[in-house]
Amino acid sequence: MRAIYLIARREYLSYVATWGFWLSLLSVPLFMLVGGGLPALIEGSQPTRHYVMVDETGAGYGDALRAAFADAGKSEALSALRAAAEPLGREDRLPAAEAALNAEPGLEGLPEAVEALGLPASSVSIDGTSRFIEVDPPARDAESLRPYLLGEQTIATEEGDQPLFAAIIIRNDSASPVGISIDYWSASLTDTALRNRVQDRLSDILRERRLAEAGVPRDLLNEINAIGINARELNPERTGEAAEVSAAERIPFGVGIAMAFILWTVIFSVVNMLLTAMIEERGNKVLEVLLASARFHEILIGKLMGVAAVSATLLVFWGGLGMLGLVGIQTLLGAADLPVADIVDAVLDPGILLPAFGYFIIGYLMYGAVFLAIGSLCDTLQEAQTLMSPIMLVMFIPLFVVMAALQSPDSTVVQIVSWIPIWTPFVMIARIPSDPPMWELLATTGLMVGFAIVVIALAGVVFRQGALGRANADSVRKLLKLGKKKPA
Amino acid sequence: MAETILALEGATKRFGGVPAVRAMDLTVERGTITGFLGPNGAGKTTSLRMSLGIILPDEGRARLFGKAPNARTLDRVGFLPEERGIYKKMVAEDAVTFFGRLKGMPAGKARQRAGEMLERVGLGDARKKKIKEMSKGMAQKVQIAAALVHDPEFIILDEPFSGLDPVNQKVLESMIRAENQAGKTILFSTHVMEHAERLCDRIVLIAKGRKVFDGTVNEALGTVPRRVLIETGEGPDAAPVLAAHGAVTDDGMTGEGTHRYTLDLAPGSDAQDALKALVDAGVRLARFEPVRAHLHEAFVHLVESAEREPA
Repeated sequence: MRAIYLIARREYLSYVATWGFWLSLLSVPLFMLVGGGLPALIEGSQPTRHYVMVDETGAGYGDALRAAFADAGKSEALSALRAAAEPLGREDRLPAAEAALNAEPGLEGLPEAVEALGLPASSVSIDGTSRFIEVDPPARDAESLRPYLLGEQTIATEEGDQPLFAAIIIRNDSASPVGISIDYWSASLTDTALRNRVQDRLSDILRERRLAEAGVPRDLLNEINAIGINARELNPERTGEAAEVSAAERIPFGVGIAMAFILWTVIFSVVNMLLTAMIEERGNKVLEVLLASARFHEILIGKLMGVAAVSATLLVFWGGLGMLGLVGIQTLLGAADLPVADIVDAVLDPGILLPAFGYFIIGYLMYGAVFLAIGSLCDTLQEAQTLMSPIMLVMFIPLFVVMAALQSPDSTVVQIVSWIPIWTPFVMIARIPSDPPMWELLATTGLMVGFAIVVIALAGVVFRQGALGRANADSVRKLLKLGKKKPA
Repeated sequence: MAETILALEGATKRFGGVPAVRAMDLTVERGTITGFLGPNGAGKTTSLRMSLGIILPDEGRARLFGKAPNARTLDRVGFLPEERGIYKKMVAEDAVTFFGRLKGMPAGKARQRAGEMLERVGLGDARKKKIKEMSKGMAQKVQIAAALVHDPEFIILDEPFSGLDPVNQKVLESMIRAENQAGKTILFSTHVMEHAERLCDRIVLIAKGRKVFDGTVNEALGTVPRRVLIETGEGPDAAPVLAAHGAVTDDGMTGEGTHRYTLDLAPGSDAQDALKALVDAGVRLARFEPVRAHLHEAFVHLVESAEREPA
């Protein structure tokens, strides 16, 4: 025990003292920050585009388009309000919010509408329409507008003098079946959002006008457009009001999947550390010195324990940071009943947390022992990579299965894969929230534990041979060649 | 009778069916310095690994302090393996302390002894230096300090002199002597016969995995034919006279006009008898020099004899 403790302690301290450890520690939160913040940053950094609209038809299409844009912004805002209200169970406040939104033209009533939900005004924003602003046209024909579109001349805007982003000219067109066409002038070939929006809305307007001409009353038209069906999701295991499934109930499934990914990331980050350290140790010829003081199994277990402690540190840090992040979001948004409590409950649920811990230990020992054994055979990382290639391929399979498990955790493929011991830790943790049968849980776990014992024992034999220089990467290649059939 | 510290009893080890060590009997008595000699690939390292229980013999057994090697008996042993290795990213004092603690020393005591040992090997000023920043020789001295930090009763050194310059070889020789005078038992393997000749009370020579000699240095020297170098001037031929005393090699004329012979004395013959016979035969002697054999010759002689024997 003394040797195991001392070897584990030395391993732990040697990792913690490296730059790589601190980079690993900080990389995940940084990655999450960048991953989470980048789309918003890109969206936020889009410049405001100024455009002009000239309606040459005299049929009021321009005005109809302007009204449609305002309505579209409103319906986008309504969707956002609904998305914010539902997880909080504040659907009852939606009519008040909708009324506040409709009380003002365009999106001017949005802050009041958000406040009506009991949220800070800044917590819901609509970006889609705000980056395109219509300005009064400095000219009414394409030729005169050209210098403005090419940036040779500018127009006065709230943001100072700006070039024109686009000019939309709606003109009569006898060749078109609908009698009009849009000429969309713009120097930008890639940003087609405005063109698409104009095209879609004008098509809607033409459709509505045609229906109105055909005698469909305006009210009926609005009624048809507003048709949408509400679906309640109910759980047959419960009765009455309690049968309705809330959004919070789905959180454990998400947590299960997240746990599977975290498990995978942590296990493969740390077993790679084990591999590189083992190669370095083999190169340093330290093992034989250790063997004069400790037995093979003590060195193997000590190394595994030391790196397990490293991964526990990473997990506790990342987990703590995640919890702090959730609490931070809650505090920033000022809402007392965001699903933070549900997420925290799901993460800390012993029904998920304990199996996750167990699967981590077994999965880590299984893969850690294999990587240590590979490391004990190799003098360089290049040599190790040759032996690891097939293992790496095998490692990635559970990721795809876990993604499939998100949609259908009880599909046949997912069930079969749960029985393959090397993938059991990742797939079963993702399945646990969907309550797989207890016998299946116990049997797959038993199989995995048995397999892990065999793998660790075999890894111990390889480690013993590798550590004493009696086997190396070439020995494995020779062994594999022996296994191949010789051509006749 | 002296206590037996180490005993290999009929130990045999095969790798892939090929015997590396065959029926090895080796004993090391308390308070002695034993040299474990043999050519490359003779099975020295395998024998030492079996002695420490790092690998188990296929046949026979190893006894360390009268027991099968275990954690407790290993704590009483200091081992310097042939494959030198130490944690390069650690500072010298931490590395030596770590190995002291592995041998069961309390943390404070291990650190104090680490400092003392580094001082003793001449690295007192480099105790806080990382091993990767040291020269190869310095790193090797750190490893010697690590092997001895826990003040072991029994010290096993596998090729301890290789990689050290002559000055440091002398320092290590002094250390081995000092440890022995302090009552420690020492077993070391080496290729350098001069060290074995100067240090050992007893030598064990192995070849092809088999023990071919076990005894004192003098007994080893006794296995080599005693040799006399003879040069004669004009006069009777010395060869027929010398033939009665051993094997004669005619080396021909020297640049100084004398005739040179080499006489390997037959068992039971004496150089003085050969000298008397030459004088009585009227041979004019220019040189008559009995040559003292060295362990190197004994080593070569014994190994060659063993290699001539069928496996």
